[in-house]
Amino acid sequence: MASTAVHSDSDDGMDDFMDKFKTQRYRNALSENNWEEEFDKIPMFMKKAPEEIDPQKHPELACIQSILHDEDRPPEEQARVLKDEGNAFFKEKNYQKAVVSYSAGLKKKCGDQELNVVLLTNRAAAHYYLGNIRSALNDAAAATRIKPDHLKALIRGAQCCIDLRRFPEALEWCDQGLRLHSTDTKLRELRASADKHKRAAERDARKAKVKEKKMLGEKEALLAAINDRGIKLYQSVKPPQHGSDSEEEEEESSSTRIAQLSLDGLSSKELTGAQVVLDQQGSLHWPVLLLYPEHQQSDFISAFHEHSCFVDHLTHMFEELPPWDTDRKYLPRNLQLYFEDEGKETLYQIHPETSLLEVLQHKRFFVKAGTPSFIVLVRGSLSFWKQYLSGKKTEKL
Amino acid sequence: MLSEAEVSELLQFLTPGARPDVKGRATDYMLGMSGHRDGCRFLRSAPDLIRCLFALTSDPSIAIVKDCYHILINLSADETLHQVLVTEVQILPVLLKNLQDPDYVFSDQISSILSNLTRHTPTCRTVLKVLQEKLGLAELVQIFCTEGFNKKAKLHYLAPLLSNLTQLPEARSFLMAPDRCVIQRLLPFTQYAASVVRRGGVIGTLRNCCFDYTHHEWLLSDAVDILPFLLLPLAGPEELTEEENEGLPVDLQYLPEDKQREEDPDIRKMLLETLLLLTATKAGRLTLKEKNVYFIMREFDRWEKDVHVSAACEKLIQVLIGDEPEPGMENLMEVEIPTDVEEKLKEADAKEQEKLKQEEEEEEEKRKSSDAERTEGEEQSGLMK
Repeated sequence: MASTAVHSDSDDGMDDFMDKFKTQRYRNALSENNWEEEFDKIPMFMKKAPEEIDPQKHPELACIQSILHDEDRPPEEQARVLKDEGNAFFKEKNYQKAVVSYSAGLKKKCGDQELNVVLLTNRAAAHYYLGNIRSALNDAAAATRIKPDHLKALIRGAQCCIDLRRFPEALEWCDQGLRLHSTDTKLRELRASADKHKRAAERDARKAKVKEKKMLGEKEALLAAINDRGIKLYQSVKPPQHGSDSEEEEEESSSTRIAQLSLDGLSSKELTGAQVVLDQQGSLHWPVLLLYPEHQQSDFISAFHEHSCFVDHLTHMFEELPPWDTDRKYLPRNLQLYFEDEGKETLYQIHPETSLLEVLQHKRFFVKAGTPSFIVLVRGSLSFWKQYLSGKKTEKL
Repeated sequence: MLSEAEVSELLQFLTPGARPDVKGRATDYMLGMSGHRDGCRFLRSAPDLIRCLFALTSDPSIAIVKDCYHILINLSADETLHQVLVTEVQILPVLLKNLQDPDYVFSDQISSILSNLTRHTPTCRTVLKVLQEKLGLAELVQIFCTEGFNKKAKLHYLAPLLSNLTQLPEARSFLMAPDRCVIQRLLPFTQYAASVVRRGGVIGTLRNCCFDYTHHEWLLSDAVDILPFLLLPLAGPEELTEEENEGLPVDLQYLPEDKQREEDPDIRKMLLETLLLLTATKAGRLTLKEKNVYFIMREFDRWEKDVHVSAACEKLIQVLIGDEPEPGMENLMEVEIPTDVEEKLKEADAKEQEKLKQEEEEEEEKRKSSDAERTEGEEQSGLMK
């Protein structure tokens, strides 16, 4: 080009061309201010692929993608590309996306079985890190169906079984693996681990069985003690049974009786959770409820020894009069004790000097909800007393 | 026994092409011959006959094949015939090949033959060599441990075969290779209820392996964990306290009330000998003490009636509750015994054997007497011996 520039040593106009840059910007130049941002948008220099490739924003990327995933290419190539894609995601610990890629690769159903095995094994690993242990196991199993000696799949399968606590199965995976790779360290370690866990689980089962047996024995002894004393447990569904006249039924359904005993205990309105206990000396301790209908109050004695008398407890409990006793009437010597026979709508009066056992053995006493309950009235409270007792018959024990 | 003419006649009857009834009569005759020692010895000088018999194991008639295998079992029981069988007739490669076949009907017979051949060291060496070449010890163990490998054969006699093979250090080395998983697969069979042969063979194998004290630490470690498998057959249903249970190896905790002990006294004795071997090193002794092996032995001692087994048990208990030996004597297998002491020990041993024999006879006489429950006092006197 013709030029009248000052310094033109060359004929090709190179110097002029170069000079232009001092004043003019080249086309598509990066802006001076945010060239780093723009830099990152160029596919070649991207450090990280964007989550979504919007063809509007990144037309070049979209272009590359479509080349890679071109449907016209043979399935093996497509699958391979997807495998690489999955591996890249895996490296970034983006396991969710890795699974998607591997699955897409498998969907191609390409004929390259080696590739499919790798896709399955890698997907198994991705699933494993996502916590989808069952899916991981399935993929490992599928991989070994195609290639039974694929070491990574064998290891993955064994590991999954251990995580799922399927220890005998884990051992099978390990043994199968060790047949084909007899000196593999990881398989050996997994086998030892699976074996150890399996034996520990067996021990736990044995221990539980021993404990259960012990508990059952204790419950049976308890029930036997109650039956021996002729104490009747009230069962809301069945009619009350006497201890003596249904011995056969007892033996057959002792477990159901025990179940009912615990059921009854828990169905107590107070929900005390307390239950009758048989001690080392063969005596029963009962949870006992004392009701004070005049004041709508109650007291709970958690362990009333069957041989102790009411008077002992009452004297102790009413040493200091309770706060609800506003009239200061509930002095131990004035207290009157009753139990109610709901069936006959009768109140039976109890002499305070009697033991709990004697009362429980009364032919009309039924233990409800595993907790014997008694009514406490005061002699001096004439009006209430008369009112309360008017609707009921009374009998003295 | 037989003249040359008679032998050549027999040879003709034993060819594959011979008439079936003639073949049958001939094999029957051979079977009778192999049943006693003179017959066997004679056959040593007639390898051709054996060769024919061996060839007939491929005969289409099952009855003939069965007879031939039976003969071979008889022959292999006689050590003087091993050379002929292995070197001249070369039965091993074919036998091992058939053993690998899961459908082969006569694998049990093969196992018996191999077991017989390996009883004495010279042939055992040869068998191991051929085995490693043609089949591999690993594959043998694999076949042995796979339940239902062969539908027609139980393969229990592979156990005494393994036991015999472990007379040889090469076999032991392989079984106890730390980078493989071989001996571990044998352990569950110490309680295999269905076959005393399998059980006994496995325990014999383990006992032989325990002669190599350099492997004890590994055997007792988690990598193998041999101890529970040796103790379980000796443990009973007796209830231990929760505390005692928690101190035992995991497999021995909370055993159910229907737990039975090993019923064969020889096997019980082998187990005790194996445990005693494991106490040779200080580390082994410590491990057994830590794992409360004593509790199991205490209950076992109370239960055991056989005098020989009791003696073995008491030896073990002595080590478990005794003090550590002085420095320099900690590895009982390396201790040097001065000759005069060795003499005295041999005498004492002989006397003990005699005494045991006497006791055994006395036991027989008082068969009807009630259970001799052993008291703590008797254990004490056992200590003072």
